[in-house]
Amino acid sequence: MSPSLLLGVAAATPRFRTPHIDYLSILPILIMMGGAVAIVVVSSLVRRQLRTGVGTLLAIVTSLAALGASLTQWADVADHGAKVTIAGAVAYDGFSVFIQVTVSIAMLLTVLVGDGYLRREDVGGPELYVLALLSASGAMVMGSANDLIVIFLGLEIMSIALYVLAAFNHRRTESGEAALKYFILGSFSSAIFVYGIALVYGATGSTNLPEIADYLSKNVVASNGVLLAGLALLLVGFGFKIAAVPFHMWSPDVYQGAPSPVTGFMAAVAKAGAFAALLRVFVSSFGAERADWQPIVWALAILSLVVGAVLALSQRDVKRMLAYSSINQAGFILLGVQAADGRGVAASLYYVFVYTFMIIGTFAVVTVLARTGDRGHDLSEYRGLAKRQPLLAGALAILLLAQAGVPFTTGFLAKFQVVAAAVDAHSYALAAVAMASGAIAAFFYLRVAIAMYSPAGASGDDASHEPAGAAGAGVGGEAGSAGSGSPAGSGMADPVGAAGGRGGAVGVAAPGVAMLSLQVLTDEAPSPEVAGRTVPVPALAATALGLAVAFTVVFGIVPAPIVDFAHRATLLFL
Amino acid sequence: MDQYLPILVLIVLGLLFAALSFVGSSMLAPKKRPTAAKVAPYECGIVPDIEPPSRFPVRFYLVAMIFIIFDIEIVFLYPWAVVFHQLGTFGLVEILVFAGIVFVSFLYLVSNGALSWAPAKHLERAMPSRTSDSTIARISGNPDPLASGPPVASPDVEPAAAAASGPGQAA
Amino acid sequence: MTIAGGWYLGLAAVLFAIGALGLLVRRNILVMFMCVELMLNAANLTFVTFARMLSDIGGQVLVFFVLVVAAAEVVVGLGIVVAIFRRRNSAVADDLHLMKG
Repeated sequence: MSPSLLLGVAAATPRFRTPHIDYLSILPILIMMGGAVAIVVVSSLVRRQLRTGVGTLLAIVTSLAALGASLTQWADVADHGAKVTIAGAVAYDGFSVFIQVTVSIAMLLTVLVGDGYLRREDVGGPELYVLALLSASGAMVMGSANDLIVIFLGLEIMSIALYVLAAFNHRRTESGEAALKYFILGSFSSAIFVYGIALVYGATGSTNLPEIADYLSKNVVASNGVLLAGLALLLVGFGFKIAAVPFHMWSPDVYQGAPSPVTGFMAAVAKAGAFAALLRVFVSSFGAERADWQPIVWALAILSLVVGAVLALSQRDVKRMLAYSSINQAGFILLGVQAADGRGVAASLYYVFVYTFMIIGTFAVVTVLARTGDRGHDLSEYRGLAKRQPLLAGALAILLLAQAGVPFTTGFLAKFQVVAAAVDAHSYALAAVAMASGAIAAFFYLRVAIAMYSPAGASGDDASHEPAGAAGAGVGGEAGSAGSGSPAGSGMADPVGAAGGRGGAVGVAAPGVAMLSLQVLTDEAPSPEVAGRTVPVPALAATALGLAVAFTVVFGIVPAPIVDFAHRATLLFL
Repeated sequence: MDQYLPILVLIVLGLLFAALSFVGSSMLAPKKRPTAAKVAPYECGIVPDIEPPSRFPVRFYLVAMIFIIFDIEIVFLYPWAVVFHQLGTFGLVEILVFAGIVFVSFLYLVSNGALSWAPAKHLERAMPSRTSDSTIARISGNPDPLASGPPVASPDVEPAAAAASGPGQAA
Repeated sequence: MTIAGGWYLGLAAVLFAIGALGLLVRRNILVMFMCVELMLNAANLTFVTFARMLSDIGGQVLVFFVLVVAAAEVVVGLGIVVAIFRRRNSAVADDLHLMKG
């Protein structure tokens, strides 16, 4: 009998033993869900005008509390080691804590971006936060689940909230259409996933991941069709959630149609949760069967890399372009999964972590630029942005270049690590395709950057608008290189960043953020020639953007802490 | 594990069966689709030039949705009730937390007006309150802004289904 | 008379396949919902059958979770459909073609 379930197992036995529950192990999840419930209660009770403000405040507090709880967990796991708790349903290890930190940060950034969006669009209040918090808690459950059915529950908590979030802007027809497409394909993939669980359960007699691994290591499963079919169906289910290529059809439409802050959240959190579960299930539980699933992941990775990069080239809608780019990025993360060893897992985790900052920051800019109605997503809207709002353009350029994998950003090391892991695993063809697709991808990221730095009309460029001087200590060098439009960048020996080292990193980041948000805010004053063309940047969104850019640059220059974080998360992997 | 091998075969058979039934139905079904004229609503022989408004009872869907979600939560109460005595205080607290969360969603529905049967409310807002003065004014043909203006009914403001149809839309 | 578990599994596989194909072929959104439900219930049947064959009650407990998730999914799906219905009077998936490329 499987001891893996919380309730009902003992209905037949006279003595019921309630499982011991280690509340610290699920504290961030409880905080996220509790925060969501609290926001529902408070917003049901306060006046309508106050709802958004109160919701934002509560959501920020909740995200910070969850982040704090995750960091506490990190210390606890580092001291006392990993363990399985709550009757085997939850794994409490470095891996799960890593995902919880990632999701908490994604949540925090999303709230900061979402506040301005809600005020601008006037589409209802704190429900956005409630749903996002629930969705984030689902991703956390996926990260720490140690049982296939718990993974399924996490997947559904995450997805169902995301379906509604995609439909959030009821004034845009695209929003509803995106939600419906997402819902149909998402529930299709969930059904496939749960059928896969059923088959794996039948083949191994358990849904508990360690028990499955145990069973597979003790029994020789030659030609077990049921197990293989179950594995394939699970992989299809995950493939839908991470938008790997044969299962990516939903993602461009959904990315384009969903409200912009939600798209950023979706790209970051859904990927984090799905990749966490994918890594845990396939690398640790089905490790014995890797000869069977590695070729499938190999094919998924190659298809995602190529199709994502090539189709992104022809997009004029920036959100759609980012959707294909995120398919391409999913291909890169799959490299680490395909390697199926400690190094690959660490590389994938690092990638997911830094990608969270990059993509939410990017969508923060997209949100701000779209103006009321969430419509201005065409590439032409970005033309001449550097002239009008140099800091916004500089921030977006940095984030895009980081996604392209330019050195001295976090994106470079992310790509480098997954490719290195693939080479270590002797997947040379895969590594070569990845690098080629990275080169193609650089083109469409640069296209946006070049559009921003090309003159909008017939006005002469004058150097005083170069962002290099303005952006301040940590950001200066990078913004300068972005300004000149050359990906190779100036000599990156940023004196402050290099001298600061690990300890000084935070210190560098703080003034950078302050300067950036300040500058972005002062940008609002319309200069005569471009009056009406500048977009207002809400303070909170500017903060989120500043955090994302600062993280991307600072830890791109001083990568050790984050690499170490991901590496240790893997070491503490059960 | 040989006993499970037939299952793969059965999956293939299942796929074939389903495919065949679709193919079969498309072959057997009447080929002639009803023409546009045939499916058009009958209006004394006149070709209707506007799409007739179809009735779509949002209200029923709303109630059905709310019902499903509260109904299905009961699933968890049955196993709990079976082992209620053995679970002791822990079980009681857990089920109270569970019920509390469900109750909060109820609170949310009420506060957004999803459970108030709306038409009365909207009619009230759409029509100015009728007093004897207003009636006299209308009969005597005086220009009364309240009575002669276009109806101010808000277009289809249904109290939104809580989660789904865009939250803040509630009346 | 007892029926071997394989038949139930076969039935579940058939139901699942019908649901999957129906989802891909049919164009009415409400019918597509029903197909998803069919797929989930096929998984439930598989769970129960395996639980019986393995004499493990755990598989039956999983059905509870799947049931509740299915209900939540239907509610959200109906909500989205209602939201779309109110904008346009059509429940045909092919009418949703605002975004392409």
